[in-house]
Amino acid sequence: MTTDNDIDATAGEYVLGTLDPAERAVVAARRLREPALDAAIRDWELRLAPLDAETREIAPPVGLWTRIERRLDTPTDDRAAPVEIGQLKRQVQRWRRAAFAASAIAAALVLAIGVREQVYRAQPTNFVGVFQHGDVQPVFYLTIDLKTRELTLRPVSAERQPGKTYQLWIASNEIGPAPQSLGLVNDDLAPTRKSLTEFDPALLQRATFGVSLEPEGGSPTGRPTSPALHAKLLPATN
Amino acid sequence: MPTTPDQLNDLIRRVAAADRVAFSGLYSATSAKLYGIVLRIVKRRDLADEVLQETYIRIWNNARSFDPTRAAAITWMATIARNRAVDEVRKVRPVALDDVGGVDEIEDPAMLISEQMELTADYVRLQSCLDALEPQRRDIVKLAYLEGRSREELGQLFGHPAATIKTWLHRSLKQLRTCLTT
Repeated sequence: MTTDNDIDATAGEYVLGTLDPAERAVVAARRLREPALDAAIRDWELRLAPLDAETREIAPPVGLWTRIERRLDTPTDDRAAPVEIGQLKRQVQRWRRAAFAASAIAAALVLAIGVREQVYRAQPTNFVGVFQHGDVQPVFYLTIDLKTRELTLRPVSAERQPGKTYQLWIASNEIGPAPQSLGLVNDDLAPTRKSLTEFDPALLQRATFGVSLEPEGGSPTGRPTSPALHAKLLPATN
Repeated sequence: MPTTPDQLNDLIRRVAAADRVAFSGLYSATSAKLYGIVLRIVKRRDLADEVLQETYIRIWNNARSFDPTRAAAITWMATIARNRAVDEVRKVRPVALDDVGGVDEIEDPAMLISEQMELTADYVRLQSCLDALEPQRRDIVKLAYLEGRSREELGQLFGHPAATIKTWLHRSLKQLRTCLTT
């Protein structure tokens, strides 16, 4: 069960800046749809803000204002943010090459890219959903590109369970009363990709996704046999 | 130079209406403060330049969402700058542990504050609550906030595993919150 303490510690660490990159990206995504977390973050920002008084003022380089004005004059640079996204993608590749990041960290940057794209674009095509234990521990998150209808499910803190496998589900009134299996999650916990072209994009936006822990080979009944973690897609803009 | 809180509020209100002259005034009045905050976290001038640009673009784009009843203008702006700076420093690279500087980076705040800031009641209150923490834990909180130090870096500096730092941070935050709300 989530407690206020959990939310408060997460929010406090987010403001202090001590969350690792994966955690930070997940919190940044969660605050868009969790008012309690967002409020806790804002409270910590206000509590700690007086410390800014301890930082010496330093005049920025003279040309910086001109660069800002130039960016205002070419708003597409910032609205569509292709440069930033390109940078992040290169970053992800570099981190992968350096074999430094756990896959979750690199994946979190991809999540950050998704969120940025949503924020900047009027008609986003990328959506994210976070599967959590309670409200605190992110277990998986998924991204969907509605244009290609490709879904990617990435583990954050999910662990392999001997003799078990995770299974992904979709539920929606349009589909029927029972959730429909989208297949098994990769056992090595690498990102799992699914093509969802049989579903209408509007349905995908409204659907609930679930991940359940099943016997090896998947649910024998065609229905989830354990309590599933649920996620809804994060709307494009907040 | 417009520096009173009311003047800053007024400038942001005009920036929200896409007033470039007001934006220029806002930049003149606040950029040194924000640049100081950002540079202290990202440490590199080239990164700080980029972060400061993005900070002001965000201020320009989000000025309408500023709520003067909720936070002082400078606090709102500093939060945007810090947030962006931490994003930058967390994404840049894995921590090179031999890269971590000494613990002597916390400057004497008294001097700075008398230099440039009035000693606000909020500051005094926060400082007294920080002083109620064990000295090492107080330094950890301040190094995280002011210098953008990660748990791993703090663990290296203080000779503890990152997991211990996390536990300490959580306890310190809890203690701070209690202290500040009573």
